[in-house]
Amino acid sequence: MFLIRKILISTFATFMCVALMSRASFAVVEIDVNQANVEPLPIAITDFISSEKVGKDISDIVEADLKRSGLFSPVKKAAFIQKITDANATPKFADWQLINAQALVTGGVSTEADGRLKIEFRLWDSFGAEQLIGQRLYSKPENWRRVAHIISDAIYQRLTGEKGYFDTRIVFVSESGPKINRVKQLAIMDQDGANLKMLTNGADLVLTPRFSPSKQEITYMSFEGGLPRVYLLQLETGQRELVGNFPGMTFSPRFSPDGQKVIMSLQEGGNANIYTMDLRSRQTTRLTNTAAIDTSPSYAPDGSKIVFESDRGGRQQLYIMEANGSNQRRISFGNGSYSTPVWSPRGDLIAFTKRAGGKFSIGVMKTDGSRERILTTGFHNEGPTWAPNGRVLMFFRQPAGSGGPQLTSIDLTGYNERKVQTPNFASDPAWSSLLE
Amino acid sequence: MQFSIVISSILHVTLFGFALFSFSAPKTMEVANVEAVPVSIVPFEDITQVVEGEKDASAKAKPAPKPTETQTKVEDAQNTGDNKIDFKSLKVPVPSVTEVVSKAPPKADPKPKTPIAPEPTPEPIKQVKLEPKQETAPATEIAALPTEAAPALPDPVADAIKTAEPLVEERVALPKTGPVPIFREQVAPAKTAKTPDRKKTEVVEKPQTAAKASDFNSDEIASLLNKQEAQGGGAKTSAKKQGLGAKTTNPAGKLSQSEMDALRGQIQKNWNIIPGLADGGDIRITVSMQLDRSGNIVGQPDVSATGGSQSARQTLAGSARRAVLRSQPYDLPLDKFDTWSEVIVNFDPSQLF
Repeated sequence: MFLIRKILISTFATFMCVALMSRASFAVVEIDVNQANVEPLPIAITDFISSEKVGKDISDIVEADLKRSGLFSPVKKAAFIQKITDANATPKFADWQLINAQALVTGGVSTEADGRLKIEFRLWDSFGAEQLIGQRLYSKPENWRRVAHIISDAIYQRLTGEKGYFDTRIVFVSESGPKINRVKQLAIMDQDGANLKMLTNGADLVLTPRFSPSKQEITYMSFEGGLPRVYLLQLETGQRELVGNFPGMTFSPRFSPDGQKVIMSLQEGGNANIYTMDLRSRQTTRLTNTAAIDTSPSYAPDGSKIVFESDRGGRQQLYIMEANGSNQRRISFGNGSYSTPVWSPRGDLIAFTKRAGGKFSIGVMKTDGSRERILTTGFHNEGPTWAPNGRVLMFFRQPAGSGGPQLTSIDLTGYNERKVQTPNFASDPAWSSLLE
Repeated sequence: MQFSIVISSILHVTLFGFALFSFSAPKTMEVANVEAVPVSIVPFEDITQVVEGEKDASAKAKPAPKPTETQTKVEDAQNTGDNKIDFKSLKVPVPSVTEVVSKAPPKADPKPKTPIAPEPTPEPIKQVKLEPKQETAPATEIAALPTEAAPALPDPVADAIKTAEPLVEERVALPKTGPVPIFREQVAPAKTAKTPDRKKTEVVEKPQTAAKASDFNSDEIASLLNKQEAQGGGAKTSAKKQGLGAKTTNPAGKLSQSEMDALRGQIQKNWNIIPGLADGGDIRITVSMQLDRSGNIVGQPDVSATGGSQSARQTLAGSARRAVLRSQPYDLPLDKFDTWSEVIVNFDPSQLF
């Protein structure tokens, strides 16, 4: 009796509430918007005011960076109505709204008494008529390119909500000479292709360079002395050292997320197993022990798990294990074979090379192997590497025929595929984390 | 030989000559000159939501039904309808034996003379935004330009506390004796122009006659089942003098579906988002704005976002804000201004990431 009464009363109360609410919302128009324009954001980047050329140079680099990301479309400077003459004045927003520039960048460069450059910039929301960010940076005049990349990162982060990746470098294998006698050198450059530098002389074959996440240090495989081994190279000093003193060949090295360990494969007869070496204690630990080739290990960004490729099931497939080697399980089940897995710095995805039907694809899947998505397919695509924000991938692409490999970048969405310009052929790219 | 050639050529020439003059070109097809039919698109609601005027009243700009009359109240009425007296409830119902009979307690005045002032809700505290310091060593934040500097914000909480009067609780003393009265007042249904002959509201309630030694009390059940007061129903009540209405249609207050779609399309077109944002699908943004008669936003739109990471939220909230600002001026029918003077836009990007 009491229960029925209670139920009835509460039903009635709910009904009345709904009735009242629907009546109250009658006075306003309420609409739901669930479609949007997935288009690059129009942004106006004005020349930074400066008595020298460097002001325009910096704004040009910023413009090129943002354009290359595929998420911004810089408005042509010829379309600008207002001419910015004072870096510290509020712009006339109506002029920028008229040319549909949703964001506006202004700035100025001046030289301090001690010779340093003082760079100021502001990012404006032209429709909201407010300043979004304003920063002042000091730098040596020769570092103006880096300053420009730092500015691009700040703008990118404020407008997209994700960290930028412009102030980064890429290490890769530069290939020159004829196909039968390729000279392979380690090379490093800024992510936009500038400041290219060779790190080795090309006397020995080098492969799979990888950046340390925390230091200016790379690890790679070299055929120096006839036996392929994993080496460490300090970028600032040029100092090189062998990683571990193993009897067999070691290959496909990669750093752990804290930069304290190197994980790699060691050949043992016809098999290969995965080992780690602590760079401080020099202690090596064996993680896999199978009669198969286990290789290409890559740590999750939190260091708790490792993804690797193995042919223990007959074909190369992707497997995951805990950081101590336990709980090994297969995650890839599609057609074809999977190789070179790389864990995203965001932690949510694993990029891989997939070979199926005589073609090579670059794809991503979730860390449990679900929702596989192919980003690009072609004659030969291989070796993906993530930008530090986990949003852009770089890999190398070899066309059919006599050409050589070239670096290519692609957005996580599969759009915005772009060639990365290098003077020679290039393969095996590895993206650094954001520079300190 | 020659003869046959001559014959042949003569015959050919004759044939061609005949064909040339007798086979004429087909007649050109003539198309009648038809003028385009003028079409005016009338929103559906103009027809379905018009107010029906009184037929024998004089023509007026706005149609209105007969003014609603207030019925005389009859205590415990069960069947009043259009009658002046309630025929069915003349008898005084016999109260249930199980109930402690008492005269209905004095009714508490439903509307206290001095209404209790609602507690002033303090405005939500605005979070003072702190720009995160750029990690790169040389970067220093530049303060926003002095022209942009906002005046010192008054502390809304302190003000609210200061101005808030001490809350005076007024309690209506309830009688201590007597059960809750089980007789309810039947409000006579409103008499309207449109449906004078509608069905009578059936009241299930019956006066209790038999006194049984049982818990079952049909009155109680009936009173539980019938919580709702008799509704007027039918056409809207009207206090205006009746009028037939002129020929111009009176658009109902609501925006029609096509007008809503146009508004949605206008905003959608201007909502630019960055694809592939890590947790963009979890974010919901609500923008509410006041519009003036020309369709421009009054002041700044009020943007609130929930879900996702802070930076992604900030980005999407910014894009939603730009979308409504860029969509100005809104092209909406001026005669429904009262309806669209305030617009709430819910942005739902769950299908976009």
